[in-house]
Amino acid sequence: MTAPSPSPSLSPTPILILDRVSKRFAGHTAVDELSLSVPSGVIYGLLGPNGAGKTTTLRMIMDILEPDGGTVRVFGEPGGGRAHAERIGYLPEERGLYRKMRVLDVLVFLGEMKGTDRRRARQRAEEWLARLGLTEWRLRRIDELSKGMQQKVQFISTVLHDPDLLVLDEPFSGLDPVNTQVMKDTVLDLRRRGKTILFSTHIMEQAEKLCEQLCIIARGRKLVDGALADIKRTHGGHHLVLGFDGSLGGAAQVFADQTLVSNVDNYGQYAEVELAAGADPQQILQRLVASGARLSRFELQEASLNKIFIDLVGAEAVRA
Amino acid sequence: MRKIRAVIRREFVERVRSKWFWVSAILGPLFFAAIIIIPLHFAAAGGTKAIVVVDGTTSGFGARVADSLARGKTFMIVARSAPRAGLLDSLTREVGLNRLDGLLILADRTVETGAAEYRAANVSSFRDIDELRGVLGRLAVNARLERAGVDPATVGRAQLRIDLRTKKISGSATTSFRDIDELRGVLGRLAVNARLERAGVDPVTVGRAQIRIDLETKKISGSATTGESSAQSFWLAYVMSIVLFIVIAVYGVNVMSSVLEEKTTRIVEVLVSSLRPFELMLGKVVGVGAVSIFQFAIWGLGGRLVLSQRAALIGNVAPADVGQEAAFQLPPVPATTVAVFLGYFLGGFFLYSAMFAAVGAMSSSEQEARQAQQPVVFLLMIAYLSVFALANDPGSPYAVALSLVPFTSPIAMPVRWAAGSVSVSELVMSLALLGVGIGSRSRHRSPCPCAGRRAV
Repeated sequence: MTAPSPSPSLSPTPILILDRVSKRFAGHTAVDELSLSVPSGVIYGLLGPNGAGKTTTLRMIMDILEPDGGTVRVFGEPGGGRAHAERIGYLPEERGLYRKMRVLDVLVFLGEMKGTDRRRARQRAEEWLARLGLTEWRLRRIDELSKGMQQKVQFISTVLHDPDLLVLDEPFSGLDPVNTQVMKDTVLDLRRRGKTILFSTHIMEQAEKLCEQLCIIARGRKLVDGALADIKRTHGGHHLVLGFDGSLGGAAQVFADQTLVSNVDNYGQYAEVELAAGADPQQILQRLVASGARLSRFELQEASLNKIFIDLVGAEAVRA
Repeated sequence: MRKIRAVIRREFVERVRSKWFWVSAILGPLFFAAIIIIPLHFAAAGGTKAIVVVDGTTSGFGARVADSLARGKTFMIVARSAPRAGLLDSLTREVGLNRLDGLLILADRTVETGAAEYRAANVSSFRDIDELRGVLGRLAVNARLERAGVDPATVGRAQLRIDLRTKKISGSATTSFRDIDELRGVLGRLAVNARLERAGVDPVTVGRAQIRIDLETKKISGSATTGESSAQSFWLAYVMSIVLFIVIAVYGVNVMSSVLEEKTTRIVEVLVSSLRPFELMLGKVVGVGAVSIFQFAIWGLGGRLVLSQRAALIGNVAPADVGQEAAFQLPPVPATTVAVFLGYFLGGFFLYSAMFAAVGAMSSSEQEARQAQQPVVFLLMIAYLSVFALANDPGSPYAVALSLVPFTSPIAMPVRWAAGSVSVSELVMSLALLGVGIGSRSRHRSPCPCAGRRAV
């Protein structure tokens, strides 16, 4: 089954396009002919298990690595993000700052690296430090800050130059709950202001809450991409949760019908049923009632992104 | 360009702000002075020098000097000729053409006043100069003794060394070296005088016969003599090599640790996604280089200040003997030498910084980098350890080879330049090779210091 491509109505010109991009390291292929398209103004998740090629993909987008094959287009122009550094904010997976430098100096320097002039960078840095409650720390050295404060400073350095596209590699990993909230709020705020956010994660709960569009990769290959709702509709299958009120009637025969049910978890008075492809839930309801089962609950559920992910990646792992 | 400037500024400001910069700015000169003075005492090497003795003496003094020098291993006397018109010029030309190493000019006034002249391509070899001074001094004193009717052998026998044993009495004030030296000097003088009198020689006659040899040295460069004296050119070469070695090594390692810091903290990912790796490296090397030049400036100004106050400073110390005092005079450094020094410093710094940066980019920890930098340091040490060989014989094939190979030329060429004559074509070739070396190093540099096998 092919995944639907991002709906063209969202954005006529995607802000970022990867076309059959590959990257090989000695002995193994980290990214294998990966194509994806990130529309402007969305929160886009790049999902995959550890070792799937997420960081390598982001590094190729950021021009840190050169692809061995395929093309990257950022803001409609061929080539990686370096040419557009002033419009892109990048947060690497593993973080760190110049430990001996003062907070404000680090921020101004990294702002300058993104093409902001010194005065402006300083002014923005002061604003962000105030916003995140770090004003009194601005003349302290980085190594005098707590880890949580360092994370905030690092995040400020990513957004200081007011980028149009944010590339965040595992942005929530290692954050304490307070900073996780700060990060989420800021990402959503930027999204409201029309910015595009591309982030990688292997934590599906976050992706499910934040992403509008996503791409799941494993072993360097794309498994599925598109809008979250579309992916859920096509890949989620349909889940039935059934509750029985005493009599099961002929439910067992209904569950055994493989044209209707592909998998069942039967607990006696409670069952979780996965519908076979193309099966109509209404037909199951009719059959169960006809078989004499007394139902207390009949609920059609969408699968969680986590389940879709495990199904897809698990299947990929089995194939590989 | 603005980004490179920002990198330069960061490297410069952060370094100059650190207290270690100021510690080394202040302690550096003391350290240099120590390591410069100590090994000087061990300086001696070089092949046999073929010289001509231009003998203007009428007393046979020149013949005796030539015989005595010929008996030693340092000099080979090609000829002893009486001075005539045009001789000095033609011999100087021979030296310029490398057919002769030097010429020693003697006249009757050598015995009278101690004045003699030595012209050579290389006048910075302490061994050569010491040998000449020793032989001339001994024979001049002997000639003066004979003229006064004293047998030099008798005087020689009267010499003795005072074996002064010291015992410390606790509770008494400590005795300084100066006191011991003075004591030994007085005792020695009186003992020799007593022995001379016993042998029937008047010590006053012997004292009058003593003379200090004032050997004027002239460096022959091309086919002309220059005003540089031996001590000056050796000192210049020696100091230059040490400063070049230490500064290239220290600031090269600075570049390395800067690269390593950015690599281990992953800042490099943010930087490389904003400017090209080459620009980043350029900014880094120029920034760190500017710090080192700033340090030179501090040392230079500090040195001037100390030298201008030298009289006041030395006044408190025991009177140094004349040789040492001469060595401490600030040599008038020719502008071309300064240019060669700075040119090779920058070239060497860029080349070695690029290599140290590559070491930093290849390593993933401080420990790993320290091991990986050793081959680079060894490479740098080759020329540094050869500095005495270079100064003693700047024209040897070994010295020429070292001054052409890019890895050694940044130290070897300035030393050769200061110690002897280097032709312009050699200089141009050496610089061209150094340029090629730097170019190929910067191309070999990995495109991204973070590119590695790290999986996602």
